[in-house]
Amino acid sequence: MSDAASAATPPTVPAAVSAAIARLMMQYVHAIDNDELERWPPCFTEKCVYQILPRPAFEQGHRVGVWYCDNRDMLEDRVRSLREINVYEPHVYRHVIGPTEILEFSGGVYRAQTSYIVVRTMHDGEMTVFSAGRYVDEIVVEKDAALLRKRIVVTDSARFDTLVVIPI
Amino acid sequence: MTQVISTRELPELLQWPAEGIARVPMHVFTDPEIYAWEQDLIFRGPTWSFLCLDVEIPTAGDYITTRIGDSPIIAVRRPDGGINALVNRCVHKGSIICHQPKGQRTRVHNFVCPYHNWIYDFDGNLTSIAFEKGIQQKGGMPADFDKTQHKLTRLHVETINGLVFATFSDETPPLRDYLGPVMVEHIERTLHGKVKILGRYSQFMHNNWKLYVENSRDNYHPSLLHAFFSTFKLNRLSAEGGTRQDDKSWHHITFTKRYTDKGDAAYDSGMLRAQKTDYGLKDPSLIDQWMEFPDQITNSIQSIFPGFVLQQVLNSLGTRQVITHGVDKCELVWTMVGLEDDTEEQTQVRVKQSNLVGPAGYVSMEDGAIGGFVQKGIAGDLDKHAILEMGGIGVGGMPTRATETSVRGFWKVYRELMDV
Repeated sequence: MSDAASAATPPTVPAAVSAAIARLMMQYVHAIDNDELERWPPCFTEKCVYQILPRPAFEQGHRVGVWYCDNRDMLEDRVRSLREINVYEPHVYRHVIGPTEILEFSGGVYRAQTSYIVVRTMHDGEMTVFSAGRYVDEIVVEKDAALLRKRIVVTDSARFDTLVVIPI
Repeated sequence: MTQVISTRELPELLQWPAEGIARVPMHVFTDPEIYAWEQDLIFRGPTWSFLCLDVEIPTAGDYITTRIGDSPIIAVRRPDGGINALVNRCVHKGSIICHQPKGQRTRVHNFVCPYHNWIYDFDGNLTSIAFEKGIQQKGGMPADFDKTQHKLTRLHVETINGLVFATFSDETPPLRDYLGPVMVEHIERTLHGKVKILGRYSQFMHNNWKLYVENSRDNYHPSLLHAFFSTFKLNRLSAEGGTRQDDKSWHHITFTKRYTDKGDAAYDSGMLRAQKTDYGLKDPSLIDQWMEFPDQITNSIQSIFPGFVLQQVLNSLGTRQVITHGVDKCELVWTMVGLEDDTEEQTQVRVKQSNLVGPAGYVSMEDGAIGGFVQKGIAGDLDKHAILEMGGIGVGGMPTRATETSVRGFWKVYRELMDV
């Protein structure tokens, strides 16, 4: 099963760090949901991993999901592509996230997991639960600001409706 | 087996326009009765459908469940190393027998229906019925009930380069004859080593299955719909490309060669590093590649009738399997693969290029939406016909991508099998 499940005793987390991580989680989903996607790549460190991996693939240790970026420039390319290039019907997401569980702190990195659910609203008003799952994160805190060093979006479903142009 | 219990005869449902395969009547994408006939005459007809990769079921008793059209199928590895394909439907009440996506029956080589524990061997024979003799001499099956008369439907199975195909029909030619030499050679070329699975996911589309299959065979659209190619200069005007078909135009390959200058030094240098100045990407490492194939083809989409696609997009290799979900929905199951002897660097290239394909693929995501656009567009005009005249009105391979020859090839075989 996942690394996260085998974590030892949870670490004691300073209040300022907890607050910084909570702020990161909020900023991340608001950047996406409020169509401020240019604020999405800055949630990551410059060298980072962002991956959308279906849960069966995650559990089987497969490496290929539907989305893989290993630095912030790749995230910015994605944003530019969805703004200017890709063709799709206009739609927005609304993320609801659960409380973040911090599993481990070692080598300056917090390992954490957070549940999410995304409702997709199409331009004609049709609403569907587009994705549910969890974020499996590695987070670093610099000067009271938390940044994602690695985020694997583990989607409970391996089936994606139509297309995934906006990040989860 | 039949799905056409309460439908009219096909000639009543569908009259093809006089223009032939240069026209497609729109109601073939919306009519549930035509859909039922397709299940019988195409998916359960004389065609080969992809089931899985050989490596997914390596050990005796390993099985996966999938579908051919609407029919649920089990593919299982036999103790002698062969593969059987069975319809996943208990002869008793019709329940599916295996309800897991994959599993193992390695300790006991049989399948047990969860509903009333009817048991089948891997050949589909009914070997045991729970309480067959009743309980304490009461109840049970009639003494003359003959288990040998009730079997799971068993399909013919053949494999090619690790791809497992099955067919319902005794009339289907052997797989390699069905594919023809051009298709066989291209499969052998693309899967040039032992395959390993890198990932799997599916894309659910709001359109009739044929609209996706048409799309996979349409080499007219990519540089127009998928603007990522042209924006980031991945389609050089000089790039050589074309369309190949088997002799009967049932199957199709579209391909492009990225560099056509034979003397290009890039060929010999192993990894081709994309230069920032050449493309508009902030991180062009996305399209770093190595020349994996001596034919210098960088993109090829091979579509096997009715619903299988083998893809090479740069170094991203994978299979796509079309699953029907009623007349106006379908699902595309993607299995992304590498080869056992890939280096770590090569695997990393394949992982990175996974961004190009799938439901979030830079050059494929639109395919998940465009069929739905058509399905919406035609809703009020089912008496109209689609026009397929790019590149003429015939079929056959062409040394260009400005053609719909392979879409017409699809309708050619469709009409042959449906007899319309």
